[in-house]
Order: sequence, then structure tokens, then C-alpha cells
Amino acid sequence: MSEEKKNQDSDNDSDLEESDHMDDDDDYYGGYYDNDTGDLDIDKPKKSDDPEYFEYELLEIEDVERFLNEEVEVLHSTLQIQPGLAKMLLLAHGWRKDYIIDRCKKEPDRLLIDSKLMPERKVTEQIFGNSAVCSVCLLKRPHDYFYSLSCGHSFCGECWDEFCQVQIQQGITTGIECMAKDCNILVPEDFLCSVMQKPELRDRYSQLSFSDHVKSHPDLRFCPGANCPIIVRAPVCKAKKVECSRCKTTFCYKCGIEYHAPTDCDVIKKWLTKCADDSETANYISAHTKDCPKCHVCIEKNGGCNHMQCSKCKYDFCWMCLGDWKTHGSEYYECSRYKENPNIANESVHAQAREALKKYLFYFERWENHAKSLQLEEQTLHKITSRIHDKVMNNTGTWIDWQYLLDAAHLLKKCRYTLQYTYPYAYYMEKSARKQLFEYQQAQLEAEVENLSWKVERAEITDRGDLENQMDIAEKRRQTLLKDFLEV
Amino acid sequence: MANIAEARIKREFKEVVKSEEVAKCHIKVELVNDTFTELRGEIAGPPDTPYEGGNFILEIKIPDTYPFNPPKVKFVTKIWHPNISSVTGAICLDILKDQWAAAMTLRTVLLSLQALLAAAEPDDPQDAVVAKQYKENPKIFQDTAKHWTHIFAGDSKVAMITHMLELKQIKKIAISHHS
Repeated sequence: MSEEKKNQDSDNDSDLEESDHMDDDDDYYGGYYDNDTGDLDIDKPKKSDDPEYFEYELLEIEDVERFLNEEVEVLHSTLQIQPGLAKMLLLAHGWRKDYIIDRCKKEPDRLLIDSKLMPERKVTEQIFGNSAVCSVCLLKRPHDYFYSLSCGHSFCGECWDEFCQVQIQQGITTGIECMAKDCNILVPEDFLCSVMQKPELRDRYSQLSFSDHVKSHPDLRFCPGANCPIIVRAPVCKAKKVECSRCKTTFCYKCGIEYHAPTDCDVIKKWLTKCADDSETANYISAHTKDCPKCHVCIEKNGGCNHMQCSKCKYDFCWMCLGDWKTHGSEYYECSRYKENPNIANESVHAQAREALKKYLFYFERWENHAKSLQLEEQTLHKITSRIHDKVMNNTGTWIDWQYLLDAAHLLKKCRYTLQYTYPYAYYMEKSARKQLFEYQQAQLEAEVENLSWKVERAEITDRGDLENQMDIAEKRRQTLLKDFLEV
Repeated sequence: MANIAEARIKREFKEVVKSEEVAKCHIKVELVNDTFTELRGEIAGPPDTPYEGGNFILEIKIPDTYPFNPPKVKFVTKIWHPNISSVTGAICLDILKDQWAAAMTLRTVLLSLQALLAAAEPDDPQDAVVAKQYKENPKIFQDTAKHWTHIFAGDSKVAMITHMLELKQIKKIAISHHS
């Protein structure tokens, strides 16, 4: 953190809004006081500043059980109803306590009918003599063998027992309905426990019904990691990043797939489906190698950085547009911007289709390219780790001295990840002033990410101050883009 | 086979045999083996439908968990109907899937299938080709269904053999008519 960094920021931000300068200043002073170790604080921005900030807790199963029981308890004490009934009402109405309490006061019968807990009309089965035929097993049984739910359809205990077992074995628990034809009254847990003779299936019942309860609760989500028992709790459902501390899975809270800012859940789904359908064509069209634009030697990309230097003629160029790198650096970075053919409306359907494919391939190629770069940067990270290890073993500095290199590699991954997800966003954006602004910021981010990538790959010959400046700039660009375009 | 399943099938079997529909030759159930796991059903095509006059054979398999799970039923006799596969005889009917209730019986299943023949649900099709024809070309659908009934579900074995050869041709016509 130095004057030099601040100056550079101001230069690059000269055409951005005034508020950005304010942020810089805040960070500058904040950083000045907080940074005892000399590390940059860019990984932990303040709540109000960070567009990606999201409040959530990671809970164990026991915590969630306690939390759900508290919810049940509230309804139980407010409405003076059985906890079992309270739980079923909560499950049926997405755990909206206030809604249930409100309706229960106004129209309790209707609420129970809608919740499949009370029938529209109760059946009264007439009793002749002291025994009856169970309509499931068709056997004659004494009257005290029969059980029924609120609907009044009676069946013998053995049939109920067998029926519940079969349902649980098939994974149905909170949704078990009465055995009668066209009757959808739900079987409550206490009823089930009273008819089930074998206790072995009780555990399975509890597990499955717990899972149903979590899934129906708007504030809870299972971590999508394989076999991960963690449950995420967030007060609001937003498309924000959640990182599981147990299995390290990172995902979007709202849709549960890989985090995708600044693109929203619907758009990313559309994009991923499109890519899954079309990627073969795209793969076929975009080959894996490119020729050097100057000496035409064939080049295979082996690092994440898009700033290429031909090993033969030393020409610096951009892997994406094959243009001279010099025009990318300081001036106007344009290769992330798709240029639409202005006369497209006048051309034939065939030409339009070709143009649509061209447009898609343009974005897909960049999306795919950054995805590959991200993988390659994973390798860079490993290389850096082993190099640090060697250095420390040779007494060239300590772990703490080299920590900044790891921070840089991590930050690079984070920035490139966001950059990758800007392409689906841009693809589905209508042509407008907002798109221009987006593409401008995307270009700015892309330029800084490539600069950072170049410096990280050459960390040994890059000055530490220089690298840290670059980290700060790249993260600022990322934050600016997200602040303006991440829907909150 | 579980106790309840076998015991119930035995009782149900008697119920169907004694029922008034059997007396009127509308439905029928027969044993295929003595284990009660597999049965052979038969329903008469309902009057005023293209299936009138035909007798349709059904394969009924009873799962171990019967009656808590539905029996597996399919048509053995070939039939031209939007909710029944013209190739495999598989049936799309809610009560044979999630709307099954343990209190239902073989008799209710057979009567429901008969009702399905009288009232197709083309919006929930099993056979997309048939369903499309049903909606777009009702006249051709009627003719095809009647023809299939005549060839496959009629009494005349001779008619069946002679018309078997025509089958492919008919299907081609049926499909080409609406495409």
C-alpha cells in the first residue's frame, strides 16, 4: 500500500464515477491502519462495500433439528395445538408461521382441509354386529382392530402397518396418504408410530421426513456436495455465493449449482443447456492451437494468461483476438466486446442464422477459454506452492515472506472465475447503453486479469509491490463490475 | 409372495368371478399359474366406441407389495388408443401409478380400463403418434382403431392372419395422413 498504488488507481478510474474514488480513499486509510502484516486486505472487503456479501450460517443436522423444533414450539404455544399437527401445518405451508396463525384464527377448518389434514366430508361407516371386513385385506376383523384417520376410512391395523412399511421403503414419509380411493388425507407421525409394529423403520422415517422438512423450509438448503451433511441457513433467498466449510463446495444459494455472478440463475441455466447442446460444434470449429500472427509458427497455449509471447519471434499478442498486445495494455481493451454486424436486419435468414452462430461461438469461445485458463491456473498454483516450499527449504525467506504469492494466485482464480461468468451475461444482454457499460467494465476486468496472470506466472522476476498493486487493481475492477451488474 | 398379497388376490378373484359384470361378459379374470402372481384379464370393448365388439386380453402381474402398490397391467391384444402403446401395450393410467389406493381391486382396475377405452386422454398420451392423430384427424383415428379392433380383437382367427399382412401398410397410411 503506497502512494504509487493510489495514483495508479486514480489514473485508471479517471473516467469512472466519483464514488469509486471515495471507495479507494476508504480502503486506503482502512488499509493503512489494519494492515499490520503488510498483507492486502482485498480478500475481506467490508459488508456494505461488497456486492457479493451474503449472510449465512453452516449448520449441522443437530442444529437444524433444534431450529425446526423451535419453529414448531412457537406454533404449538401460540395456537395451543399438538406439536405433530403444528409440524404438518408448517410443512404444508412452507413454514410461514404468521400465515398459519392468521388463517387458523380466521378459518381453522378451511386451513386444515387445504393442508390435507381434515376431509371435506367425513365418512361414517355403519357398524353391523361386532366385526367388519377390512377393504384392503378383505378379511373379517373385530371392530377394535380398525383404525382410521380424520376422514373416517377404517382399515385393520395389520394393513396400516404393512402399508406404512411399504411407503417408507419407497422413500415416502411426510406424504403418506389414506389408503382409500380418492382420499388424500395425510398420515401423521404419531398415527404411524401407533400402527407400526416394527421399530426398525422408525429411523429411516425420521431421516427421510427430516429431509422433507429441510427441503420445504425456505431458509434452509442442503449443501450440494456429495454426501455432505451440512445445511446452509440464510435469512433471505438470493443468488449469492455459499462456501461449505466441510466439503469445500462453492455454490449459488438460490439454485444450488456452481456460483455464477454476475449472471443470474435463469440465464446461467439457459447458457449451460445451450453449451451442452452446442459445444461439440463449437469444439470442432475452434481448434486447439493457433498460429503466431507474425511468424505463423503453430502455438499451443500452456498457461492461463492470454498475453502470449511467441517463443520464436518474441512477438507479443493476444490469444483471443490475435492482435498486437500493445494495444491491449494501456489504451482501449476491445477484444472482449462482440461487434454485431449492423446490416444484419437486411440480410437473409440464412445469413442471420450464421450470424447467430457466430455470435454464440464468440461468447462460447471466451467462456471456454477462461474455463481452460482457470484449470491451468490451478497448475500454476501448485507450481507456486512447490517453489515456495523449495525456497523455504533453501533458507530463502520464510513461509510468511512468500505468502503474498499464494494470495496472488488465489485472487487471480477468483477474478478469472467472475470474468468467465460475465460472458453468458453479455450473450443474453440486449444491445443497449447498459450493455456498452457492461462490456467496457468487462474489458477493463479482462485487461487487468491478464496483467495479473502475466505477473503471477513471472512472479520471481516481478517486484512484490508491483504484483500487489496489480492484485488490488484487478479486484477493484471485479468489485466495480459486480457492484453495477449483480442483481441484489 | 407376501401373505397379504396372496390372500387378497384369492379373495378378489372370487369377487370378480361372482360380479355382475362377469355375468354380462364385460370383464373376466383367469389364473395363469397357481401362485397368483400372474393373471390374465379380459375386457370387452365398450359400446359406441371403435373398440365395440372386440375382446382385449390383459397381462396382470401382482407385485409382492400388493395391494399397497398397484398391479402391473398391459395390453396383450394390440390396440390403437392414445393412452396405450401401439407397440408394447403399456398403459398410461393414473390409478396404475401414483393415484393407486390400497382399497382398489382388480375389478376397479378392469372397469377403469374399460372406461379409458370409452374416454381417451389425448393430453396425457402414451403413444404420441396415436394421440396426434386422435386430435388432428379424428375420422382417420376412428377408422384405424376400428380396423385394429377388427383384426386383433375380433373372434375370427382367419381375419387376423390375413389382415396381419396389411398392418404395416395401414400404419403407414395412418401416419402419412397427418404428416
